[in-house]
Amino acid sequence: MKNMHGIIFSYEKRNDLRELADIRTAASIPFGGRYRAVDFALSNFMNAGITDVGVVLHGRYQSLLDHLGTGKDWDLSRKRGGLKILPPFAYRQSWGGETAFRGKMEALAGVRSYLNEIRQDYVVMMDGDLVVNLPLKDVLEKHIATGADITVVCGNDSFKVDNGMYIQLDDNGRVTDVLQRLNTPVGYRSLDVCVISTKLLLELVDECASRDQYSWRTDVLQARKDTLHIHSYIWTGFAAQIRSVQEYYDRSMQLLNSDVRHELFCAERPIHAKSEDKSSSYIGPDGKCLNSLVADGCSVNGVVINSILFPGVVVEEGAVVQNCILFKDVQVGRNTKLSYVIADKRSQFQADRTLMGHATYPLVIAKDTKV
Amino acid sequence: MKKECIAMLLAGGQGSRLYVLTSEMAKPAVPFGGKYRIIDFPLSNCTNSGIDTVGVLTQYRPLELNSHIGSGQPWDLDASTGGVHILPPYQGAKGGTWYKGTANAIYQNIGFVDNYDPEYVVILSGDHIYKMDYADMVQKHKEAAAACTISVMEVPWSDASRFGIMSVNEAGQITEFAEKPKEPKSNLASMGIYVFTWADLRRYLTEDEADPASENDFGKNIIPKMLNDGMKMQSYRFDGYWKDVGTLESLWDANMDMLSPDSGLDLLDESWPIYARSMSAPAAFLGSNAKVNHSAFNRGCELEGIVENSVLSQGVTVAPGAEVSYSVLFPGVTVEAGAVVKYAILGEGCRVGAGCKVGCDPAEADPDKWGLAVVAPGCQLEAGRVVAPKIMLNKNGEEVSR
Repeated sequence: MKNMHGIIFSYEKRNDLRELADIRTAASIPFGGRYRAVDFALSNFMNAGITDVGVVLHGRYQSLLDHLGTGKDWDLSRKRGGLKILPPFAYRQSWGGETAFRGKMEALAGVRSYLNEIRQDYVVMMDGDLVVNLPLKDVLEKHIATGADITVVCGNDSFKVDNGMYIQLDDNGRVTDVLQRLNTPVGYRSLDVCVISTKLLLELVDECASRDQYSWRTDVLQARKDTLHIHSYIWTGFAAQIRSVQEYYDRSMQLLNSDVRHELFCAERPIHAKSEDKSSSYIGPDGKCLNSLVADGCSVNGVVINSILFPGVVVEEGAVVQNCILFKDVQVGRNTKLSYVIADKRSQFQADRTLMGHATYPLVIAKDTKV
Repeated sequence: MKKECIAMLLAGGQGSRLYVLTSEMAKPAVPFGGKYRIIDFPLSNCTNSGIDTVGVLTQYRPLELNSHIGSGQPWDLDASTGGVHILPPYQGAKGGTWYKGTANAIYQNIGFVDNYDPEYVVILSGDHIYKMDYADMVQKHKEAAAACTISVMEVPWSDASRFGIMSVNEAGQITEFAEKPKEPKSNLASMGIYVFTWADLRRYLTEDEADPASENDFGKNIIPKMLNDGMKMQSYRFDGYWKDVGTLESLWDANMDMLSPDSGLDLLDESWPIYARSMSAPAAFLGSNAKVNHSAFNRGCELEGIVENSVLSQGVTVAPGAEVSYSVLFPGVTVEAGAVVKYAILGEGCRVGAGCKVGCDPAEADPDKWGLAVVAPGCQLEAGRVVAPKIMLNKNGEEVSR
């Protein structure tokens, strides 16, 4: 669809992601065996025909930049439009002292010249930590049909997430209240995806800048819920916000359910990952692999149960891997036992090691660790 | 723009001995090893050897091949100077012809080669599985100041009469060449990989074209003529894994070799990667009752049955209770519940209905009647159908003879 522009926000601070976010932002966390979280937002855009995308960076973005490249894996390497990377250097530091922006409105004010160049009538804004397969064409159609000023996409649940926002609706689906930081969430979980006309977005950015208002949630959605027509779009499918290790782990493991997997990876809206050149995966004569997702280039000679293996994972003879998520090129030595472990890229477990986490506290092993 | 060395890849062959597998695509486009197509091997070898300009000569059923190669980006061959170029036969002001033979295919593209004004041209074909550093071969060609260098490998004496056989002296210079000799004098077989000094090859191609009796073929005409004229012809010994996958049996064999790195074909080795164009699909899923052993599989696979000693390409489904062994399944094949597939090659997008039986173990059949069962791409087998070993089905499910 030529009429929509995409903006992705990537935040640095997610304390509950522990070692997983030491070296990267939530947007570039590996997810589901061969993706990074941001692949979902990018693919949602691509499947809606969006050709122009801005990615607003905050901090620790080296890994995300490596991953995005020129954007060609999402057809965003283009002569006209395509991928625009907006690093924090682009922001006017008018708020003094801070190295990066305090909220989305401030971030957008900092890249006002980029906003001026948007050639589409509508903008969809999405967070890089959201794993979902949204039909954005449909969201825009509904936005236009309801005549709303802003459409916010909500999950059909009040599932508690870190730094969550919950939307209260009237019978027509119009937003009546917006609540944050609830101990007992009520209403619909905001997926922090919204559609707005480019014209209104520019007006709001300028208005907020003139009053030193920086938050999309507080200064736009909450403060203007009565003056603007804010409408909802309820999404009933899978939607994971990668904001804590526990959520990361639980949501990853849901992919072992075929219904969830087939919904998230539906054929009509494929999720595109960065292409790579690993060979086929191989399970040896005595290897065993049950109820697991296995990416390309893995080699399994031990036992793997209820786990997710990213590309190039090696599980040697006698090793037992259960309820684990092993990132790219992790090696598990002979007779080593791993249970409820999330092992980051290239970590190595030598022979005869035993590591056990628990379903309510998965162990996280940092990148390049040797155990 | 001048290049020291470019490659010309002969990819126009039908591969008629792959029968139904190549009824709608050229042999180089046939899937291999679960992830690749045959042509990925020479293209990746070029990139890894630092050859950034490749002409791909196409003729037979090029649609699949053209869309696979595309801009050449998966092999980093989408360069601003050079890169990969598809070269089909064309019409000129005075008419045109199909490519009459391998030499004629290059002859018709002398203009393309001249654009790069190369010192050397590497001639490759799109039907072999191997990893090879062409740069080393070109280097040896330069050092020997040869007009032509042919890569050779030792084959068992019993097989020698199936190949083009070279006799060489101590310095590795070729003294004699015999195409499929009845009584071979040597067991050094040509691998169909040549390096030519372009000025020499250009002259021989032009002379060959002028000879109405010539079949315009490298092996039959150009090489014997150059040897006869006393041009310096050098051999280049190769001792790695190399397999011609021109027959159903050799294609199956090479896939099985991939399962055992001892065979010499180690595709997990990343020091010489083979690049491929791959589809978007989630990681493979192996179900709670899956039993997968000594097998390779790829993204998009959903495996819930038994899989043994097999190579499964992207997007293959093996339903609960189905059994696949000693088989090669191309992309998108579905094997439904209770079906049994043994010693078979199933083409892209085949569906094997519930309870079907395709092929069988050699021990279960009369040795004369045993062979691989082969099903053409797109064939849909209705539930319960039995396909005997050595039988080949076209895409409508009708038996065709070899």
